Amino acid sequence: MADLAFCAHYPFSSAAKKYVSERGLELTSLLLEKAEDRVRDAISSGKIRKVPKLAESQEEELALYAISRMIVSSANNRYLINRYAVAEGKKTSDYLSGEDSGREDYLSEAASEFGMVFESAGKAGKYLVPLAKYLQYTPRSVDYKLSNREVSAGKVIVNRHERNRIIEEAVKKKMENELPIRGEFTPEVKEAAKRLLALLPKLEAPVLRLGQENYPPCIVKLLEELSMNINLPHTARVALGIYLIKAGMADAKIVELFRSAPDFSEKTTAYQIAHLRAKGYSMPACSTMDSYGICMADCRCGTPLNFRAGLHGKRLTHESEGRK
Amino acid sequence: MSGQTNLQEQSREERFLREKFSDFYSRAPITVRSLEKREFGFGGWDKKIEFRHISETSEPNLRARLVRDAPLYVSHSVAYYEFPDARPMTKKNWLSSDLIFDLDADGSACGNKCGKFTCQKCLDAVKQDAIKLIEEFLVPDFGFSRDEMSVNFSGSRGYHVHVFSESVAQLDREARREIADYIGGVGLDFGRLFWNEGKKFLGPSPTQGGFGGKFARAFVSKLSDDSFAISIARKLKKPEERAKLISAIERGNYDNVGIANREKKLFDNFEKMRLTMAGRIDSNVTADTSKLIRMQNSLHGGSGMLAKSVKSLDSFEPMRQAPVFGNTPLKIKASEAVPALNICDYSFGPIPAGETRELPVHSAVYLLCKKAAALA
Ligand SMILES: [Zn+2]
Repeated sequence: MADLAFCAHYPFSSAAKKYVSERGLELTSLLLEKAEDRVRDAISSGKIRKVPKLAESQEEELALYAISRMIVSSANNRYLINRYAVAEGKKTSDYLSGEDSGREDYLSEAASEFGMVFESAGKAGKYLVPLAKYLQYTPRSVDYKLSNREVSAGKVIVNRHERNRIIEEAVKKKMENELPIRGEFTPEVKEAAKRLLALLPKLEAPVLRLGQENYPPCIVKLLEELSMNINLPHTARVALGIYLIKAGMADAKIVELFRSAPDFSEKTTAYQIAHLRAKGYSMPACSTMDSYGICMADCRCGTPLNFRAGLHGKRLTHESEGRK
Repeated sequence: MSGQTNLQEQSREERFLREKFSDFYSRAPITVRSLEKREFGFGGWDKKIEFRHISETSEPNLRARLVRDAPLYVSHSVAYYEFPDARPMTKKNWLSSDLIFDLDADGSACGNKCGKFTCQKCLDAVKQDAIKLIEEFLVPDFGFSRDEMSVNFSGSRGYHVHVFSESVAQLDREARREIADYIGGVGLDFGRLFWNEGKKFLGPSPTQGGFGGKFARAFVSKLSDDSFAISIARKLKKPEERAKLISAIERGNYDNVGIANREKKLFDNFEKMRLTMAGRIDSNVTADTSKLIRMQNSLHGGSGMLAKSVKSLDSFEPMRQAPVFGNTPLKIKASEAVPALNICDYSFGPIPAGETRELPVHSAVYLLCKKAAALA
């Protein structure tokens, strides 16, 4: 028997999927309109509205979730998908820490979607997370630094809040990976997607402003991905940051480029760029870039910095010093 | 064809060693897991990796290549790929990676006296580091079982620990960096392990996991030392006061006896014990999901010794068990001063530069590989 409240709060779950596939889904214009609102809220406020505690509303939420995914997929825009993923994750943790905070059964069922079991750590409000899941689903920040954690027998102890945060992140990653779903969408869905795309902040393609013809293919690619709102891994961000510093770009301008990252925080980015500059990190060699999986061509220039130097016959590092 | 430098360019020594290596590979055991999914790299006299992005489809093919080309170094990726020979790396299509720990003697054990002829002291120290890594981190903290782990001598001056656990195979670079940071105690913060609560000063208990527990256990055991105990508080001279404090620490309470300046004292001790609590690994190797690492049970061209799999680290003696070339006598001429050495229970040296000696071939190969001698 399906627990409708559970399904509505955690529509990514297998139980919810089963419920929908048994009941079927009717794409009415009213539902479509509501789903469009749902996605619009998600991308503008980063939140998804709470579902009223009524069977009809809960059932409706399941339909809205499915249609939201269609709209987002039809739009097929990374920024939109990633913003939407953040909001679905947030919805999950809001329920886990709010309305459902007493429902350990809900939590276990949601966690099991990601192959996770949170055992009790033997102390009130403390739970054990398998090490790999901890590393996969916690942010790499000082608050989650493994060195300061109780780590034992392959498990890490987390508190209630952190446990919910881990599930939130897992939901977000699941959305990022699953979307866009492939398929032919109805004209109404496509129209809704178009309207949402029109709402997106007009992100000028920063690559084009930079005279990227001088940049090596790996850097161009990173800038393109950034402008397409793709979440770059940490190593790629660092490499890009160092490159732009060496290319003589001012910190504020570099921070602006990173603004299109879905998880952009001005404060963090500014701090990190200033840190890279202060420490004077050297540019990763091509072989290092390749091992990071961000080398795009076999240009044999040793370091991405030489690519430009080769073209212009002068060393980029000197040029940047000259500009100061 | 691919792996060979022109024969005319090879020195007599290189040709001699390659013949020896080739002969060895014709009968050596090859123990690479899923070798068809690995990228291979091979090295020669001048470079540890001269050729890479090479894939092999089977053990007999790999063996045939080793016998034919007799590379002086054989490495394979820690990663498994769909297309191991594709370039650039992104085209290989990464599937997963073993989790690797690389430990190297850095010369600190003997005060950097041994240089390229790594001394027994340094070899013993790095072996202890490897034991500590396994016994204090990989098994108790990370929960890896011994049968999903394999340890080998690097063939030169250290050890590699490979972890094949499915649970960590998918971890990305940043997650692996976090694991490496943990072992090195990077980011370890006293302020996150201890806190004031009213009059109490609370912290980790000895049964706790992680560095908190490591510190608590070390601290309690140091308290049995009189001068240490007195340095914390004079009244700890009395055994009953000490017992009282220890039983409080077991409950995470670090001060039930009235320690003046307790926070500062504990902080100072914590900082002092940082290094001894942490493990010593090369974290760049652990973080690198596409690293090429020496193939287990292959020969190391810088020593001629085997990167031998080790069942029991405790009883493993690299200078006795890793050489493979027997004791037929061979004449060599030292091209630099060679210190006193002992290989396979054969003691020789010091040999002044320019002098000729007849040595068992295992020792002669060692000096040739170190480029410290020529064939005489
Ligand atoms: Zn030494």
